[in-house]
Amino acid sequence: MTTALDARPSRFVRLAQASRSYGVVIALVVLVIAISVAQPSFLSFPNQMNILSQWAPVAIMGIGMTYVVITGGFDLSVGATYALAAVVAAAIGQSQPPVVAFSAAIAAGLVVGVVNGFIVTALRVNPFIATLGTSLVVGGITLAITGNKAFIVAFEPFTALGRDRLAGVPYSGILVIVLFVIAGLVLAYTSWGQSVYAVGGNLEASRLAGIRTSGVVGSAYAIAGLTAGVAGVVTASQLSSAQASLGATLVFDVLTVVIVGGTALSGGRGAIWRTAVGVGILATLQNGFNLLDIDAYYQDVIKGVIIIAALATLDRGGARHLRRLLAGRGPSH
Amino acid sequence: MTDPRAVAPLALEVTRLSKSYPGVNALRGVSLQVRSGEVHGLVGENGAGKSTLLKSIAGAVPFDSGSVRVLGTDLVGGNPRQAAEAGLAMIYQELTIVPELSASDNVHLGDPPRRFGVVDRRRVDAQFREAAARIGLQVSPRAKAGSLSTANQQLLEIVRAMVSERRLVIMDEPTASLGPEDIGRLHAVIRGLRETGHAVVYVSHDLDAVLDICDAVTVLREGEVVESRPAVEWTKPALIRSMLGGVELDSAGAGESTTTAGDAVLSVRGLRAPGVRLDELDVAAGQIIGVAGLVGSGRSRLLRALAGALLIDEGRCEIRGEARTWPRSPAAAWRLGIAMAPEDRKLQGLVLDQSAAWNIALGDFSGAAGRGPVTLDRLGAGVRAAAEAMAFSASRLVVAAGTLSGGNQQKLMLARLMNRSVSVLLLDEPTRGIDIGAKAHVFTAMREIADSGRAVIWSSSEIEEVIEHSDRVLVVAGGRVIDELPPRSSPHDVLTRIFDHQRTHDVHSTDGEPAL
Repeated sequence: MTTALDARPSRFVRLAQASRSYGVVIALVVLVIAISVAQPSFLSFPNQMNILSQWAPVAIMGIGMTYVVITGGFDLSVGATYALAAVVAAAIGQSQPPVVAFSAAIAAGLVVGVVNGFIVTALRVNPFIATLGTSLVVGGITLAITGNKAFIVAFEPFTALGRDRLAGVPYSGILVIVLFVIAGLVLAYTSWGQSVYAVGGNLEASRLAGIRTSGVVGSAYAIAGLTAGVAGVVTASQLSSAQASLGATLVFDVLTVVIVGGTALSGGRGAIWRTAVGVGILATLQNGFNLLDIDAYYQDVIKGVIIIAALATLDRGGARHLRRLLAGRGPSH
Repeated sequence: MTDPRAVAPLALEVTRLSKSYPGVNALRGVSLQVRSGEVHGLVGENGAGKSTLLKSIAGAVPFDSGSVRVLGTDLVGGNPRQAAEAGLAMIYQELTIVPELSASDNVHLGDPPRRFGVVDRRRVDAQFREAAARIGLQVSPRAKAGSLSTANQQLLEIVRAMVSERRLVIMDEPTASLGPEDIGRLHAVIRGLRETGHAVVYVSHDLDAVLDICDAVTVLREGEVVESRPAVEWTKPALIRSMLGGVELDSAGAGESTTTAGDAVLSVRGLRAPGVRLDELDVAAGQIIGVAGLVGSGRSRLLRALAGALLIDEGRCEIRGEARTWPRSPAAAWRLGIAMAPEDRKLQGLVLDQSAAWNIALGDFSGAAGRGPVTLDRLGAGVRAAAEAMAFSASRLVVAAGTLSGGNQQKLMLARLMNRSVSVLLLDEPTRGIDIGAKAHVFTAMREIADSGRAVIWSSSEIEEVIEHSDRVLVVAGGRVIDELPPRSSPHDVLTRIFDHQRTHDVHSTDGEPAL
């Protein structure tokens, strides 16, 4: 949204701005073309739908993470919260109707998010440390209570969300699309959404301007917990089972899709559509690697390089800086 | 008369320099020549392009067209290192010393003389002593730079320029944080630099200082050079006329209340917060209340406490006759119609990445919510009207707040308050760092706000200014109001009151006779 109010002085400047704003979209398009040329089956409908349902949990968690990152924060606990929610859903789902199980799981996620928000705003603990702490606490509790036992729910209605399809489109995929549209509209069009940008852009100015900054920041963490809860439900339903060790490294995928999309870790800039594009890039890469039979270890290497490249080029004009360095003209700052 | 300087080589030659930012032509074909052994003044309103010119010369930003030649070297633009190597020393308003390092280490920052690959400490200190002695800076080479006074830190930057043999020194607002005595010292140093054939560019809002020290003065307005003349041909009024370009300063109408004080809009009783004590204050509609005090007197804390930005210990308030508990947050204070424009616009006032219009709306986006993307149109007529009321140019509403001058940023802060229903406006140092023209706008706006039935409480470190533009003056020391002076008191009265208070009161005592 930042660009919506920028000046429009000349076609050149407009073009330069657009290429900076929408560079990630171009990157995604190029990637899709490259991989579909190398392996045409990539574009097939069933493959695309598989990707969608595979990436549904990460994408859903990306929504909450985007909000938190735009406020200038960080949430390391979404992986543990996701596992907790999945286990709650599966454990309760063994004896109760799915609605009850899913609601309880999402509520559990929301509770963790609210606690995070409280620790970050009221106790003023650095978000990185605060959510690292809750991540350990939540992960530890989940393991202690379940002993990492797998809860299996072989109950048809429970797995419908994860496995059934509407006209070939998985329910989980539909859920992702609906949630992204809502989340994007909320961020771009509501007073709360603009306040999210405001607190990330300048917390003190926002506070003095009369924004209830603790409420805005706290609610972003609450939503992050909520989306982790929803993601946990989706996974439990997809797998028809859950255990505490789920999603140990998932938080990195979630952060990656947000950052690769171009939402700034420094806060105040970003968008939901960017996270959607980030998911697209990561999902396309991963699926492409599999189709092209690239070793999993190398996949990690390439992913790592892409994260660094994305941050260097998207955030703060790193590429321009590098060009200047190479041209021997010295850094500008 | 033949001036030897007229034939001295050119130290700085700027030719038809242009630079634009999105939506703004910051510099439009500026040419400027400064000879060795010359002190050249550069003046202009905020937003006239002074900062952009300096940054372009120093390589902090690239320029679009034209040329900059420093001591015979053509600069490529956007390369501070090349500018430094050519012999340019840029002394910014925000000093660039490293507080934890010693004075002499600061002078050699990044490139100390070495012996066998190790820093040659004796030579570092010797060079420092020699250069410091030349400009009369009496500081031990091993003194921590952060422990030096602002004036000495500034001189340290000049020592740095001398040690590195840079013969073009540009100073941006060097007197901004100096007292009269230190200004005298600085000017003596600058005269010394002139004698040794250095060229100095002196940029300042302090026109007296400019006329005192400079050989020639160039006036910038709206990104163009208006006039450049020898200093002897300038007078202060002539400079002001040239800077403003036909805009008459409306100083007569700004200081007088045209309405009699109305009903109380805010009554404060027994306000206590850490470092703040205000026993009784009644603010009437239509009043401008000035807060005067020395630096560190707690002016800002007092305003912040009133704005709900400090956690207070106790206190009650009445808003238009209705008793209320004290607002616990700025958000709560806004709802009661009390709002503040903080002193530090960049750190506490604005979201610099976002547009001017967005910053006016900051805190209340309800007008823009739910009706399409956040565009200027959607932010609404209120934002446009508030900007217009503050004489903020409509074409700049879409520009990022961070690229605006200090004066324009201040207008945004006021426009934000105008855009919402606020009955008591708290303005902390609204005139800090802005030029005469922008100040006049601020004073006019304050009076208009008061005349519309609201009240203004404001502070300034310039006591004369507070007295001239307020209906009532509160004298603050140690975080409390120690006295209220009638209108048209002299600055002398204020200072006398403050010094009397300091003599008779233990600074740390929290109890005592009622304030006011």
